[in-house]
Parts: sequence; C-alpha cells; structure tokens
Amino acid sequence: MTIPAKPLHIPVEHATLANGLRVVVSPDRSAPFATVGVYYRIGFRLEPQGRSGFAHLFEHMMFQGSENAGKMEHIRLVNSSGGMLNGTTNYDITNYFESVPSNALERVLWLEADRMRALKVDDENLRNQRDVVKEEVRVNVMNQPYGGFPWLDLPPVAFRNWPNAHNFYGDFADLDAATLGDVQKFFHTYYAPNNAVLVILGDFEAAEAIRLARKYFEDIPPQPKIPQADVSEPGQTEERLGEVEEKLGPLPAIAIGYTMPPRASRDWFTAGIVDRVLHGGRAGRVYRKLVLDEQIAVDIDGGADLLDTNGPTQMVTRIFHKPEYTSEGTVAIFDEVIEELQQKGLGIEELDPVKVKFRSDYYSMLEDGGHGMPRFGLMHLLACFTLFDGDPHKVNTILDGFLGVTPEQVQEFAKKRLVPQNRAVVFRRPAAAAAGAR
Amino acid sequence: MSASTASPVVRANAPALGAESPVAWPKRTVTTLGNGLQVVLVESRNFPRISAQLFFRSGNAIVAHTAPGLADMTAVVVRAGTASRPSRQIEEDLRRMGAALGTSSGADSSAISASGLAEFAPGILELIADLARHASFPAEEFERERRQRLEELKIERTNPGFLASERLRRVLFGAHPYAVVSPTEEQLAGITREQLQEFYQKHYVPADSLLIVVGDFAATEMLERIEKIFGAWKAHRAEPPASPAPPQQAGRRVHLVNRPGTVQTQVLLGNLSITRRDADWYRLLLANTIFGGAFHSRLVLNIREQKGYTYSPGSGVNALHQRGYFTVRAAVRNDVVAATLTEMFYEMDRMRSVPVSAEELTSAQSYLTGVFSLGVATQDRLVGQLSAVYLDKLPESYLETYRERIRALTAEDVMAAARRHFDSANAQIVVVGDRAQIGEQAALFGPVTEYDAKGNEVV
Repeated sequence: MTIPAKPLHIPVEHATLANGLRVVVSPDRSAPFATVGVYYRIGFRLEPQGRSGFAHLFEHMMFQGSENAGKMEHIRLVNSSGGMLNGTTNYDITNYFESVPSNALERVLWLEADRMRALKVDDENLRNQRDVVKEEVRVNVMNQPYGGFPWLDLPPVAFRNWPNAHNFYGDFADLDAATLGDVQKFFHTYYAPNNAVLVILGDFEAAEAIRLARKYFEDIPPQPKIPQADVSEPGQTEERLGEVEEKLGPLPAIAIGYTMPPRASRDWFTAGIVDRVLHGGRAGRVYRKLVLDEQIAVDIDGGADLLDTNGPTQMVTRIFHKPEYTSEGTVAIFDEVIEELQQKGLGIEELDPVKVKFRSDYYSMLEDGGHGMPRFGLMHLLACFTLFDGDPHKVNTILDGFLGVTPEQVQEFAKKRLVPQNRAVVFRRPAAAAAGAR
Repeated sequence: MSASTASPVVRANAPALGAESPVAWPKRTVTTLGNGLQVVLVESRNFPRISAQLFFRSGNAIVAHTAPGLADMTAVVVRAGTASRPSRQIEEDLRRMGAALGTSSGADSSAISASGLAEFAPGILELIADLARHASFPAEEFERERRQRLEELKIERTNPGFLASERLRRVLFGAHPYAVVSPTEEQLAGITREQLQEFYQKHYVPADSLLIVVGDFAATEMLERIEKIFGAWKAHRAEPPASPAPPQQAGRRVHLVNRPGTVQTQVLLGNLSITRRDADWYRLLLANTIFGGAFHSRLVLNIREQKGYTYSPGSGVNALHQRGYFTVRAAVRNDVVAATLTEMFYEMDRMRSVPVSAEELTSAQSYLTGVFSLGVATQDRLVGQLSAVYLDKLPESYLETYRERIRALTAEDVMAAARRHFDSANAQIVVVGDRAQIGEQAALFGPVTEYDAKGNEVV
C-alpha cells in the first residue's frame, strides 16, 4: 500500500546587490533557526602554483580576525549566540556557514560582512594556523589508515592540468613557504562580493533577510577583475594507472575514477543515474557483484560530486578487497559489471527504483546534508546553483533532469564514457602485504 | 583595505541579539502497546520523508564476558534475510521505497532504523517489523559477514583513535562489561550462527522496547498502522544481570600503546563519570562546554588557537546507561605530548579551583540551549533527541525544561561539577604513538604500562 507522492517546493527568492553580491533567501517558519552560508568562487583548483594547500590554509585564516572582530571573536559571537559554525574548502568553492537561533541572524550577517570587507591577521596567526593545518593533515591523512584515499590519490593520476592534479591538502614545504603577503593578496583577489553568494535560510520573512543583507554587505567594494584560471583538461587517450603505498591498513584497496561530462549537459544527468545504478548501496551493481556474489571485496562504495563541482571531476569507485585476491584480478571482475551494462543495458524495473531512491536521497540532502546543521544541503545546493548555473531556482527543477533519464541513455553512456581511455585507476597497496594472492 | 566609509556605526560593533523566539518542541504521541513496545510519534512535515528507529534494550555489554561482539554480529546479519525475503529482495525493497536501512548495536541497545519516502511509510515499517520478528540468519550470509567483520577488526587496529578509546575503556571499566568495545579475531571466529539466533530470540522482543517514528504523517493514522504491524508480536524480556563494579583508580597512570614510526600521537585521558539520570548531569554538561565541549572553549583556545599543538582537541561526557565517563582528547605532534598533557591538567585544575567568569557562563549556557534547540529542525535530529530521552527513561519534560535547567546554573555549580567529575588527580592517560619518541614525555605523568597494537601488555 502506498500513499500518493507529494511534490516538494522550496520557496526561493534572490537579489543581486549593487556590488555584485548575489543573495539567495529561503524562508522556513517551522522552527526558530537561521542557517547562513557565504560561498566564494575559489577552491583548491585555483590556488597559486608553488602554494599547494593554500586555499585551505587561507580558509583557516578567515577565522583569525577581521576588521572589527578579532581572533576567536567570530567563534565566540556565534557560539555564545547559541549557534555553530564551520568552513570547508572544495574544488571550486570555499564556504563559511553558521546555524543559529533566529534571533542571532543579524549578528551572523554582520560577522560575515566584516570578514568579507577586510581580513585583519598577523604573522603569529599564520604560524599558528600552519601548525594546526599540519596536524589536520597528520590526523586525517598520514596517521590514518587509507587517509586521503582516494581524494588525494586520484587527481594526480587522472589529470594533467596542475589546478586539477596537485596535492590539495598541500605539501608541507609549500605550507611553510606561504607568507602574510600571500594571504592578503589571495583575499583581495578572490574574496570579493562579486565573486560570492550569500544564502540565508530559516525563520524570517524573505524581504527582511534581503534588507539585512543590503544593510551589511552592499557597501563592500567589488573587485573589478577576478581572474579565471583555465581548468580544462587535454583529451585523454589512454588508461591511466597509479600506485600509492598504504602504510597502515592491512587490505589492498583500489580506486577507479571515470571522468564525468560537463555540468548540466544531457550526459551529466545520465551520469547521476549511472552512478546510483552502480553504487546505490547494497542493491547497486558493483556491491552486489564484488561483495555479495563473488565475495572478493570486503567493502565498496562510490559516487560522483556532480552537483557541487564545476570543472573536471570523476565518478569514483572505492574497493577494499580480500588479500588473497590480486588487485588486477579484482579490477577484471569490476570490468565485468561495466561490460554487462554496456552490452545488455538495464530494464525499467531496475531504473525506476533507482530513481525513487535518487529522489528520496535528494530530499534528505536538502533537509540535513551534513555538518550537524539543519538545511546544510539546501544551503549548499542553492549556493552552487547560483554560482555555477546562475539560477538558484534549479533547486526545484534539477530532479526532473535526473528522473527523465532513459534506459537507452544509460546504456549509451556506459558504452561511450565507462571506457579505459576515460578512467584512472589507483592501487593502494599495503606496505606489509602478504605474498600469495591469487 | 576597505575604501568605504558608509555607516561606520553599523559596522564597528556586533549587533545585539534580538528577542529569543520560544522553541516549541513538537507534540509527541506516546503510547505503550499491549506487548510492551513503547511507541513515540512526532509529525515533522517539511519534507515528504519519515525516519523510524526500533530499539531493543540489549547490546554488546550484556554479552561482553560470554561472547564479545555477538550483539554487533547479530545486528549485522539481521538485515541479511527473513523467512519471506532473501537478502537481495530486502535491498531491492529498500530501493523501491527510497529507503535506507541501518542495523547496529551499541553498549546498551540494538537498533533497526530506516528512513525513506513518506509515501512508502507502511512498507518501511513492515520491513522493520519483518527484520525484528522473522530474521532467518542464512548460514552463507553469516559466514560472509563474519569474514567482512574480521577484516574490519584488522583495520580498526591500525586506527589510532580506535586504539586509544579501546584502551581507555579497558582501564576505566575493568571487570565491568563496558570495558570491552570490540572482540579479538579469535573471539569473532568463535561466534556461531546459533549464538546469533539465540541472542535474537532473547533480546529482539517487544517488551520494554522502543519505536520512534518522525516524519510526514498524521500521528493518529500512523499509530493505528503501527498497532496493526507490531501489535500481534509477543515475547517477554529477561531481566539483565547486574554488572560488576568498575575499579577505583588511585593516582594517574599512563597507558602507552606503542606504534613505532608514527608521525603523530593520539592523547586521550579520562575518568569514570555519571549518566543522564544523575542530578549533576546539567552541571557537568555546562562545565564540559566551558572546558572543551565547544569550539569556543578553554581547551581549544589554549592548545589549538594559542599553541598550535593540534587540529582536533576536545572533551566529552559519554553517558552510557549504567555509568558514564569523561574524556579529554587531542591528536598532537610527537614533540609536544608532555606539553599537551600539562595544559590539559592545567585547564582541568583551573576549572576545579577558580570560578568561571560570568561571560563564560552565559556564553556556554546560550551555546548549549541554542544547539539543543536546533534539534527540532530535522527528522533525524529529532529521532536522536527523542531516543536519548526515552531510551534512558528520562522525565517526559526533559526537552521542554532543558533550557531553563541550564539557564538556572551558576559559576558555583560549574566548579562543583568540575571538582566531582574532572578527576585530574586520578585520571587515566592513554597515549598512542611511538614509544621511542614519546615514552619519556609520557612517563612524567605517572607509571607507564605499555601495550602493543593488538592490545596485549608488553612486559
């Protein structure tokens, strides 16, 4: 027995301020909270050569003090308002966000405007955060089994253009080389209102939120010229292979990445569905084959960052397999899954449930979506649709593109894109591997 | 720098907070079915989904001394087949309903949880009931899952965070079943399918269990449906045995898990503490928030923002059902292990001996009540908040009175809680790292016992 499906409609209003800052507002009167995000169109792809890891180090500096709010003041003012905050660095964006009780909305806007206007940091702050970032890299990568696998392993193998192919967390020598001058230059180059979007969600009237955005942000001067790096990749004609030693974990692991079509193209929507056909939990074809049927792998997962990237990106499968099998043999079984999709396609009885799950996951992402903050996912997608597509209303229509994919398109995609000349494979081999794998 | 001079008054100072909006905790429909299953329903209608969780009040602790890991393995295999649905069909049914399923076991409880599209709510609940009542534990699925779990155990032993928390639980809880967080490879290999079935028969029962459903539905209809789906299920629950008391600690001791060549040291110290039902609970929460429980806390300010020793410092109150424990943690570079411990104890002792300022007090009160209130805004967070209340059998008014209870506390309350629950003199210190680099530093803080990564004492 099934209850009729209810369409979801997210209210969205937007405005562009005189200085070019785009403001996107989505009221939600169901609970007295406000979630605010400021997204800058700068990520680790665009950090300067010789300064790997700089975009992320810089993100830390944005918490070290601005014109009228000194070190720890951002954190104190948000925490003591009853809210939480964080920031993340991504391929094409860096974001700063807060969830607070709705009575702190104006305070949060003041804080974000203050650090968009001017960063006020010194050498001591930079030394301090360089140390903190090194411990972050150690705790997440160097002292963690399978740390950085595969988000740091795949790009240098898969891509040829430095913006896409370098170490995003940063070589320690590059982190050490960063100066306060680099910090201010990066700020003035990229952290401008006309290179950003402000998203405001929660318990208020849309007009009031836009009025507050104008009050605090509209007089921040824009940057006349924001450089756009060339992140395009040269065409690929061969399968690309790489190896990384796994220093801690006992199991061999493999990452297989297929480069995805350009954002919002017909194939891009198909890619979103193909990803779920292959990786959608235990009913996904790869898990079923490698973990359940053949029992070669202990675990697999996979996915594609389609919605929040705007440059070369991959659909990635991660496989952890039993040490008695070879990694090469495991890839051969994975390839059987791909070949089956290429040769036989899939029926509507498989595609329809995949779409139901896709829709459900999309709603779930909008509602929660991470960082322990209500509507983080909605904020994230509104920002990405605005920065990359110029249209936040896509949040209400993007599903149609994915749900309209046909079985024929899936099969055609598999034939055209899931080929060795469009992929990279990284073998993460344990240092203390036992001999005798079959 | 900014060239603009417009509205400098607006800019120089942070705006004052507006008037606080009241947080309306949603209406709960709470009832106990004839078979003893307590049902808690909350309507949350913003997104067309539901989130449901069925809890049984038995977990890993109850078998810690007879078959460690048995509750975990039971939870893992419970989803792998029922009398009427093979494993593959369960996974396909989930996808068809846009649903995700989780089955897990903690120290005190086991849970079957599922979330998915509201339009499939009946089917999702029927699937939960099917797993709870008719799991078939297919032999082949059991063997496959046990092998997967074995490989996971091996990976766990290469994770410094796991090694630290495993050691601390052993040290703090001794003969108490909370001491055991994971089986050995040999213990896992010894678990049989029959043991899983026995655990399932005995503990996956409606009596004294809890079903929480939050989402886009009308509560009255949902309750009728739940009575139909779960009402006919009958089984009693045996009283759990009493647990031996955990040891009394006399003085600080250091427990060093040696991992030669490691580039960073995991520091974790702690002491036994209280449960959510203790009269000191709110006082301890507030003291912990000021000490190390928020970004803007003393520990983070000190060892991260001033000294740059670590990325991820923090403290926490881990409230299990029978006992709780307090922990302080940081992953630090190898040459500052002694300096880190010095600062941790300094901050603990400061909390114990000097009253916190009025500004710190109100700031932490606002943080706790504000973040707690954000819990009404999503379905999964509501399930989390409700499960804390109903699993631990806290008063029904816990959610509604939380804010005023936190607001009523004083600097004296905070210091009293710190004195009672930050046991700096008898704290047990775990360090996971390279003995050659950190052994001498750690020895400054107490007699050292060394372990290998398998958990065996090195003599």
